[in-house]
Amino acid sequence: MTVSEISRLFFADGWLQALAQGTVRTLGISLGAFVLGLAIGLIVAMVKLKGPRWMVICANCYTTLYRAVPELLLILLLYYAGADLINLTMAALGQPSVEINGFMAAVVVLGIVQGAYSGEIIRGAIESIPHGQIEAARAYGINRSLLVRRVILPTMLPFAIAGLSNLWLVLVKESALISVVGYSELLTAGRQAAASTKHYLLFYLAVAAFYYLITLVSSSVFRQVEVRFERWMPRHT
Amino acid sequence: MKKTLLVTLQACLLAGIASSAFAADKLVFGIALEPYPPFSFKSGKGDWSGFEPEMITAVCARMKADCTLNEMSWDGLIPALKSQQVDVVLNSLSITPERQQVIDFTQPYFFTRALWIGDRSMELDPTPAGLKGKIIGVQGSTTHSAFVKKYYGETSTIRYYNDQDDILADLRSGRVDIMLADQLVVEPLLEKPDNSMLASKGVAPLDPLFGDGVGAGVRKGNDALRERLNVALQSLRDDGSYEKIRERYFKTDITTLK
Repeated sequence: MTVSEISRLFFADGWLQALAQGTVRTLGISLGAFVLGLAIGLIVAMVKLKGPRWMVICANCYTTLYRAVPELLLILLLYYAGADLINLTMAALGQPSVEINGFMAAVVVLGIVQGAYSGEIIRGAIESIPHGQIEAARAYGINRSLLVRRVILPTMLPFAIAGLSNLWLVLVKESALISVVGYSELLTAGRQAAASTKHYLLFYLAVAAFYYLITLVSSSVFRQVEVRFERWMPRHT
Repeated sequence: MKKTLLVTLQACLLAGIASSAFAADKLVFGIALEPYPPFSFKSGKGDWSGFEPEMITAVCARMKADCTLNEMSWDGLIPALKSQQVDVVLNSLSITPERQQVIDFTQPYFFTRALWIGDRSMELDPTPAGLKGKIIGVQGSTTHSAFVKKYYGETSTIRYYNDQDDILADLRSGRVDIMLADQLVVEPLLEKPDNSMLASKGVAPLDPLFGDGVGAGVRKGNDALRERLNVALQSLRDDGSYEKIRERYFKTDITTLK
């Protein structure tokens, strides 16, 4: 295969643009799911540490269940069975039907699964905060929400950030699972390109390169974040 | 780059305003996101072409409807129709009694037979006895898979695939021995140089499982839309527009069974 042929496939035929659009969608899914997962994870961690007994049991069930069931199965469940169920409920309530598109299904499912994992990471991180710090804050008469915002969250983050950046990288790759319902994220775009042009090797390698690029960029972003959050941590040399 | 983005954005916005202002009525057509030439295939730039996207455009022009395409996987089309994510599936959907239990169909707009494809050098007799112990590849949720499952399920191994392109790839690499697929789709593909090792192994016999032609599917009970589609399809037939589209993609008449 010559360079001119490759450039024709990527530029004149527009497949590079298709892959780039797929990348944007993959990033969109991953970001949405990551934010949703963090929100759920934070709530779950708080419940597990301080909540009433029945809520702790619920939270434990949630983390066990969603870490046990394959994400692929959850996507199929939400996309096909879930859409029916939601629309039946909406119809019963006299509301117009809602559309569950691939993007939403991916964000919701991956976000819920991420919540289960990040909940455990955040819980572990909060538990590693030296108890004296929280006691000291209480001694000043700080109220609960301020305690969470000013003491627990900032001191927990250095312990959690490595685990969370790992989760993000796994999440970017798991977003490819939504290709099963034909939503054109990066992997589907690559498959489409490969199958249409019959240049399987070229396009699958290009897709791999795109994923690698995402990982490379996000690693460096996380490194910056990590440096910022850990600036008060004692250095072990 | 920035400028192109801006222009595209403006165009999208304008189109959005225009369509919401003059929307006669909006119809969403479901289409399988896989290369299925000559019926439907998508270019790198993102536009669809093929017999069926052209038929959709023509039908929509006749119905004066504002139509959009919703891409999904082939086996998700009927669930999407049922859960109201799409209104019509005009995408090589054969009219079978099994499908008629869950959705309604318009009149058929083309007919096709099923063709066996196998390795050129391999002697294959596509009868249940002849394919005993062989591996058959078919696309899942198709009439071909229903046919193969009924007559060959006991004696042959059946592999189900998500799209047809994967079966061809596995057939070339020898992971399946024979495949059953739509004649109108695979026959032109046999002429492609990468499929030179493959050859036709004969047309499958007529069977009720293959259905009675290919029609557009609508939600059960949506008779108004079904009638409008029928009228539009008939008027395309009557004034020769159908033939004009057909000639661009098929050499032979596809309105009757050969």
